[in-house]
Amino acid sequence: MILLDRLTKRFGDRTAVDDLSLELKPGTVTGFLGPNGAGKSTAMRMILGLDRPTAGRALVGGRPYHELEHPLRTVGALLDARAVHPARSGRAHLLALARSNGIPKARVARVLELSGLGAAAGKRAGTLSLGMSQRLGIAGALLGDPEVLMFDEPVNGLDPDGVRWVRGLMRSLAGEGRTVFVSSHLMSEMQLTADHLVVIGKGRLIADAPLEQVLANPSVLIRSPHAGELAARLAAEGVVVERRGENELIATGASIERIGDLAHDAGVRLHELSPRAASLEQAYHELTAGSVEYGASKEGAR
Amino acid sequence: MRNAMAAEWTKLWSVRSTWWCLAAGVVATVLGALTLGGAQATEAMREGLAGVRIVATEPVVSAMAFAHYAVITLAMLAVTSEYASGSIRGTLQAVPIRGRVLAAKALVVAPAMFAAGVLSGAVAALVTYAVLASPVFGGLTVFPIGEVVADLLRLGLFCALMAAVTVGVSVAVRASAGSLTLMFMLTMGLPLMLVMTGVQVALEVSLRMPLFAGLAFMESTDNMTGGPIPYSPAEGLAWLVAWAVLALAAGQVVLRRRDA
Repeated sequence: MILLDRLTKRFGDRTAVDDLSLELKPGTVTGFLGPNGAGKSTAMRMILGLDRPTAGRALVGGRPYHELEHPLRTVGALLDARAVHPARSGRAHLLALARSNGIPKARVARVLELSGLGAAAGKRAGTLSLGMSQRLGIAGALLGDPEVLMFDEPVNGLDPDGVRWVRGLMRSLAGEGRTVFVSSHLMSEMQLTADHLVVIGKGRLIADAPLEQVLANPSVLIRSPHAGELAARLAAEGVVVERRGENELIATGASIERIGDLAHDAGVRLHELSPRAASLEQAYHELTAGSVEYGASKEGAR
Repeated sequence: MRNAMAAEWTKLWSVRSTWWCLAAGVVATVLGALTLGGAQATEAMREGLAGVRIVATEPVVSAMAFAHYAVITLAMLAVTSEYASGSIRGTLQAVPIRGRVLAAKALVVAPAMFAAGVLSGAVAALVTYAVLASPVFGGLTVFPIGEVVADLLRLGLFCALMAAVTVGVSVAVRASAGSLTLMFMLTMGLPLMLVMTGVQVALEVSLRMPLFAGLAFMESTDNMTGGPIPYSPAEGLAWLVAWAVLALAAGQVVLRRRDA
């Protein structure tokens, strides 16, 4: 539904998005992860035709965004919940959006109801709390009943009820066969909502894989008085090794048995060899740990 | 295009600043017309100019040389408030063809300002006539309906074209302070500086900048140049239209090229 083809954006000599190719499929929630400044928002803005790519292209349903006749009926997006005229009521804001795309007025009342904005819809947007602004933004994204939904940090500022609501909403939108693309820095949130993960760092693709696969990537903690020697040995065998401290290593890309055997072969004493619980948080940190490891981790995640 | 215009219409009237600008514009036009008309009438009485007649819209035109800043502010806010709040991104998501956004804004704001110009001018002309037609002011002020209507239509057109210039400039500049400064320089700052140089060429140029071109079109008799603008109303209209086209073209270039 959404296709990024070698998408690149440079601002002066800084590359925000670097040769990013992706395909987002309907019926799934794709989590978009990356550290701050990784290029997530820039990539989303290019999909929406707000930023012009330096190279490559972004297609929605096979067409560039600006060729969509009524774009809000195809793509609903929430980029910045605060980007509403502070003196305009939420209802008037949605009404203007609806009119721009020939969406019936009744739909405004419907999305206000769906988003639980209630009486706050008549208040000036500048007086809304961040959580209420998020709900207004989500209402705007749902307005055109679109096949594609994009959310940039949608649970920001929401209370626990709101977070649960967004989680359920994204699941049900994907369940209806829509394409849902959501960026977040909350790894735990992604673990609960996403089916598929796209991880970028410094604008480059690090991982593009189903959630289970990212989580399944085995990771082993090793403590050894000869950590340096073992690290070199493991690396030579194609295992990705991260030096944690004087005596500590984290190895990915090999089973715990294989690492034990390799240590034995090398005649290296081990003080600890333990599997690390798979969490997205951990997987994410390993994936984005440093630029040196990008290439290797990418292979591991696939 | 109709959808984009409907959206702009909704946005324009759903913020209070629009109404404040309109109210300020009416007050400025009425007070300005009364003051300038009163001064004109008393001067005529003192100098005993027999047969002098002041059409009620004449001081209104003079007042509009100042009151039109309400129009400029309104038109500017219709654009710059979107950049200040970031809602321009929502606007461009809804209408991704950039030229269409610019055209919709201009086609909504300019006609609205035409109506505002005609209506505030009419109110100001009626108040001016009601006050200045009295014998206290020599009964010199008249209300010939044909001339008044023609003047009001020209006032409206002036406001509409000024609004179009402002929309173009604001889209090109994006920020409120910058847009307002540039509009002030285009309408007052630069032309007055050029006049002060005393050089003939500079004077000719200044007279063709947006405000003086508009005053020429409205056949203003009393303005900062000290008298009628020495060229035809049709030429004044042509210059003002040219400024509007230039500003909108500049806005279009920036809007298309820059990331939102």
